[in-house]
Amino acid sequence: MERIDTTVATRTGATTAASGGDEDEVDLIPVRTYWMLVRQRFLQHRLAVMALFLMAFLVAIAIIVPTLTGDAYTKTSLSKAMQPPSLSMPLGTNQIGQDMFLRLMKALQTSLFIGFMSVVIIGLIGVTLGALAGYYGGWVDNVIMRFVDVILSLPVFFMILIIVAVLGKGSALVVVIAIGLTGWTLACRLVRAEFLKLREADFVQAARALGASNRRIIARHILPAALAPVVVAATLGIADSVVAEASLSFLGFGISPPEASLGNLLKNFEEDIQVRAHLLVPPSVTIVLVVLAASFLGDGLRDALDPRQRVESK
Amino acid sequence: MATYVLRRLIQAIPILIGISVISFLIINLAPGDPTDRFRSGRVSAETIANLIRLYGLDKPLPEQFVSWFTAFWQFPFRSDAWGFSFVDGRPVVEKIFEKIPTTLELMLTSLVLTMIVSIPLGVLAAVKQYSWADKIITTMATVGYALPSFVLGILLLYIFSIKLNLFPSFGRHTLGQESSFPDYLRHLFLPVCSLAIQQIAGWSRYMRSSMLEVLQQDYVRTARAKGLPGSRVLYKHALKNALLPVITLLGLSLPSLLAGAAITESIFTWPGLGLLAVQSVTTNDFPVVLAIVMIGGMMVLLGNLVADVLYGFVDPRIKY
Repeated sequence: MERIDTTVATRTGATTAASGGDEDEVDLIPVRTYWMLVRQRFLQHRLAVMALFLMAFLVAIAIIVPTLTGDAYTKTSLSKAMQPPSLSMPLGTNQIGQDMFLRLMKALQTSLFIGFMSVVIIGLIGVTLGALAGYYGGWVDNVIMRFVDVILSLPVFFMILIIVAVLGKGSALVVVIAIGLTGWTLACRLVRAEFLKLREADFVQAARALGASNRRIIARHILPAALAPVVVAATLGIADSVVAEASLSFLGFGISPPEASLGNLLKNFEEDIQVRAHLLVPPSVTIVLVVLAASFLGDGLRDALDPRQRVESK
Repeated sequence: MATYVLRRLIQAIPILIGISVISFLIINLAPGDPTDRFRSGRVSAETIANLIRLYGLDKPLPEQFVSWFTAFWQFPFRSDAWGFSFVDGRPVVEKIFEKIPTTLELMLTSLVLTMIVSIPLGVLAAVKQYSWADKIITTMATVGYALPSFVLGILLLYIFSIKLNLFPSFGRHTLGQESSFPDYLRHLFLPVCSLAIQQIAGWSRYMRSSMLEVLQQDYVRTARAKGLPGSRVLYKHALKNALLPVITLLGLSLPSLLAGAAITESIFTWPGLGLLAVQSVTTNDFPVVLAIVMIGGMMVLLGNLVADVLYGFVDPRIKY
């Protein structure tokens, strides 16, 4: 779904932002570098700025709280089982007396970590294959793109299930690998498209004329210019990866107790929903917040990194 | 048209082979082998060696793949084409084909509901861009999109089943009761909603931007300029073209529908392919898992083919 949305939004964004008359203004505006413009455009995007703060906040508490409290989130205490929310334990305890606030914080840490790591893998595979396919073209391109076709035709979630089943259930590393191996096609196609466009550009020709090697041209000249769409896709990809991990853990194939993940906090829903539904609210809300933050951040970055978008002068 | 369909079917073959190779390789990475469950004191080493020879497990991997792959496509004629379940020993073909209709009921009903709801919503949001209606629809779509299917499922379960007690929480019909159509519909309602809401969120956003783009076209302005009534321009000129990309969406939604079905079916214990997949992964029932991945891949390929053919059918600009 995200894939479709991205293309449409980019296209409409491009048409509405097609601006004429920029040339006339050049003399009047003080020189602004690309990154200054990017920052300005990003700051104009109110939701994106809010999303950035929200994401920073989530990451901060996910790092700080579990670091300070150590492994208290696994501690069970039957005398404190099923307590309602209180001052010392803001979210109460579950049926084996674990502090749900500490579990939520640890879960946030685990889920964000897996989300970010999956995106790193997706980026590595996608950028490498996309760069090779776009730069060399020919049979290299053909092989890689047919491979992409195959992956795109796979029922991705079932594929993740199969990988997790084979490599071992309940391991964070396996979850990261499963999400990474199945999720890189969008990044690959974006990078390939940029490389196809840029490989004939003048600055690449110039580098080639100066005797730069293929590897140097790919890594030093084209890649930095081709990264913008990948950054956007990666940010949006965090949302998808966090949801994928949570879904896996929810079904019992990802992170399993005593470890905590946003998905496995909801795993016991059949029982919880009858008698202590309040336990299900915080993890659900947290997942939605993570997804919203990542997608608004991605939207904001997409507009900010697009050089065709106008910056309103102050 | 026929040659185009044929060509697309032929193009699908290498992709199918690719899917098969990948799934087969992953399954073969699994620790142990199918004879492991016979390894106990009572079965002699000789019998196991015989079994390994019988199953062809001593042959090189490519050879195993070819024999598995050729057997796989005989499924309409042989019930043992996909092997036997590790769990209950039943033929995998049988296990899977009895679940496919149940899953299709869920997926197709959700798709129909998605279209009925999201197309009008998307059009309304586009036509009244920046109005309150647009803002509400866009916000709802964003929130709906950010709700993972299991959160949504639990939420619906809590509101409609536990609190309001309007709909049953599991299964396809009430246990110990004569199955009737109204009862079946009551059971279908929550899973379908939980699957459809996420699709609706994505589709209405997509429909909105598609409609907005069409409304900016010159021919729409021309139609308005020559004095056609607004509704006529909207429905006759704009909507028809804005609907075209929705057909592509139909094909592209299949993977997410399948993923959603796996989770939704687990929450509502809807006995379909998704639930079977989850159960089979839990019990390491690899033959069943492998077959479900293959079936899922075929569904996705077929969905895209149908979408492309439909597209050519409604858009005269497309030539085969």
